[in-house]
Amino acid sequence: MVMLKELPKEELVLQGNASCAGCAASLALRLTLKVMGSKTIFVVPACCTSIIQGQFPSSSLNIPVLNIAFATTGATASGVVAGLRMRGIKDVTVIGWAGDGGTVDIGIQALSGAAERRTDFIYICYDNEAYGNTGMQRSGATPIGAWTTTTPTGKRENKKDMAFIMAAHRIPYIATAVPSYPADFIEKLEKAKKIKGTRYLHVLTPCPPGWRSDADLSIELGRLAVQTGMWVLFEMENGVFSISSPSRLALDKTKRKPVEEYLKLQGRFRHLTTEEVVQLQKAVDATLDYYTKLNGQRIFPQITD
Amino acid sequence: MIDMKKCTKCLLCWVFCPEAVVERMEDDTPKIDYDFCKGCGICAKECKVKAILMIREE
Amino acid sequence: MLKTIVETGNHIAGLAALAARAQVVAAYPITPQTQIVEEIAELVDSGKMNAEYICVESEHSAMSACIGASTVGARTFTATSAHGLAYMHEMLHWASGARLPIVMAVVNRAMGPPWTIWADHGDSLPQRDTGWVQIYCASNQEIFDSIIQAYRVCEDQRVLMPAMICLEGFILSHTSTPIKIPDQKEIDDFLPPFKPGWILDVENPVSHGNIVSPEYYMELRYYMHEALEKAKQLIPKVAREYSEKFDLPNYGGLIEEYMCDDADVILISMGTIGSEAKLAVKKLRDEGYKVGSARIRVFRPFPREAVREMATRAKALAIIDRDISFGMEGILFTEVRSTLFDLPKKHLTKNFIAGLGGRDVTQSDIEDVAKKTFRILETGVGVEGIEWVNLRR
Repeated sequence: MVMLKELPKEELVLQGNASCAGCAASLALRLTLKVMGSKTIFVVPACCTSIIQGQFPSSSLNIPVLNIAFATTGATASGVVAGLRMRGIKDVTVIGWAGDGGTVDIGIQALSGAAERRTDFIYICYDNEAYGNTGMQRSGATPIGAWTTTTPTGKRENKKDMAFIMAAHRIPYIATAVPSYPADFIEKLEKAKKIKGTRYLHVLTPCPPGWRSDADLSIELGRLAVQTGMWVLFEMENGVFSISSPSRLALDKTKRKPVEEYLKLQGRFRHLTTEEVVQLQKAVDATLDYYTKLNGQRIFPQITD
Repeated sequence: MIDMKKCTKCLLCWVFCPEAVVERMEDDTPKIDYDFCKGCGICAKECKVKAILMIREE
Repeated sequence: MLKTIVETGNHIAGLAALAARAQVVAAYPITPQTQIVEEIAELVDSGKMNAEYICVESEHSAMSACIGASTVGARTFTATSAHGLAYMHEMLHWASGARLPIVMAVVNRAMGPPWTIWADHGDSLPQRDTGWVQIYCASNQEIFDSIIQAYRVCEDQRVLMPAMICLEGFILSHTSTPIKIPDQKEIDDFLPPFKPGWILDVENPVSHGNIVSPEYYMELRYYMHEALEKAKQLIPKVAREYSEKFDLPNYGGLIEEYMCDDADVILISMGTIGSEAKLAVKKLRDEGYKVGSARIRVFRPFPREAVREMATRAKALAIIDRDISFGMEGILFTEVRSTLFDLPKKHLTKNFIAGLGGRDVTQSDIEDVAKKTFRILETGVGVEGIEWVNLRR
């Protein structure tokens, strides 16, 4: 059980960073660094975080950060891990920290390669469901129906299921999280820190300017995402799928909040027709049914080495 | 602005502040650094006892 | 103590990476480079080479991984050709901008479509603006020597820029010749362990590579340019030191000149055309032609002073390009001409495009090039225009 009060006081995300007011990605970063500590090297592609870091000569992150080209997080991190190993440096955690664009679209090849090679690092995708850095164009992680600047009448395609793509790589640890459930998030970070091999975390990070929501709602939105089942918290530890406790309530159809409660707080869904919302609800219900059956099952055979 | 009479020192404001602007004092009292606060209002929204008030800077 | 081995250019490049004690190699196979990565894989697997070998899933990732490794202080090596080089183009900029002394073997191969696996310089020359040192080899010995020397030059704190050592596909990469390799201990003496110019260190956290306003960017580019100018001074010094220490060829530093001192016409080229040109020069000299050959080894930094010096006494320069910049002319031609522009004497310069897509450039072809240039010099006819050697019409 994670006691939030036991989190260290030290802030490795320094005050005065360039994030928007209410940025859940900034919070996710702050909490991640509280768990990972200062013996961490971050590999950060072009994404909101590279902006949040701020401009030369200042940086708001008090750890070594390698800012690198958009597509390369998984590959660059592989190089950092290899370099540290060759230099005999053993106690440093390498973390690839990338947005959804740099993970599910342009960065997917490098991540896939790194996972296939069982690179010993943690990859964290913080997902604001669009290309935030460049002004909210659609990404593969944009959910169906969402407005973005390149899907002005709503995205027609489903959100790419990155966690299950990573499962196909048969890596030892995969988890979804959201900062709105900090204890769950922190527990997953701590677990990831202890495991060897490629570890993947996918964190939903509500984005006020991108989602067209009020700045003070970022935590509430993350909570509603889970309570409606639009975002499901789960883990795949060594291939075994398990729903995390904050999501268990949503599995129960009677306790599940209707998707409208989540959608109505976001301007990016404002244009949805009643029919479209019904479809969305059906899709969520179907996914949750599926996950209920999957709960406790193996997604892939036991990793033996 | 934190109403310390209502504050239960649960420290959720400290956990949820994206900007690390809520400082956690020795006795677990939260203290807001107004120089760096961006006014997002998450702390006020999440405070379970409504001890935080958002007041516009004039 | 020199040991003689007989190996192909590719295998020799791999052995050079071993001798240089590269610590991280991240590479992706592409014809005709494949034997380099295979050689290294064998060396690492057998324990002969103490390195991490990352079998990346693309060339773009190869350069990214090399960058990652270099930023934490590891000496890195990679190799590629043609489309692989093109694929990593973005990251070539990154490596030089990040001031990382990565060394890469480029097995020159022509670009498609149509697909081709044979040699020309159309892959590496278009990368000339990325800030990488570019050295063009004409023998397997030169490949080995240049790789070792490149680490010395690039890791110098005044340089800290990456280098590509270019060797023509199949012509060198797949041709076995004897070469002489110094003792590992002597190489270690010549090439000490890597001391990075900057490093990612948890004890001293910094962000590297992030956004910089117009207020700061230009200075960083100025330093990079300065670094390559420094490299231009350092390369011949290091080459001389290496050659004296190991009793191995010098190749002249930036340009390998052959019989240029009293030449009326000088044949300028790069790579193996340059070594073939020496044979042509020898034959033509016997026939009474006052001709010489200047093989440009170091294309970046471009040896402006050395080119001017070499051209001083000549009347005409025949510049053989194994490349073409569409809509303009041969790249070497442009650069040589630009270098000579300010000289009081106006040289006759003629551009010959030869050997694209691996078309053979023979000694006899080069003799023809020389004779044509002499004719132009005498008659004044045919100065204009690019001549495409052996083009089927």
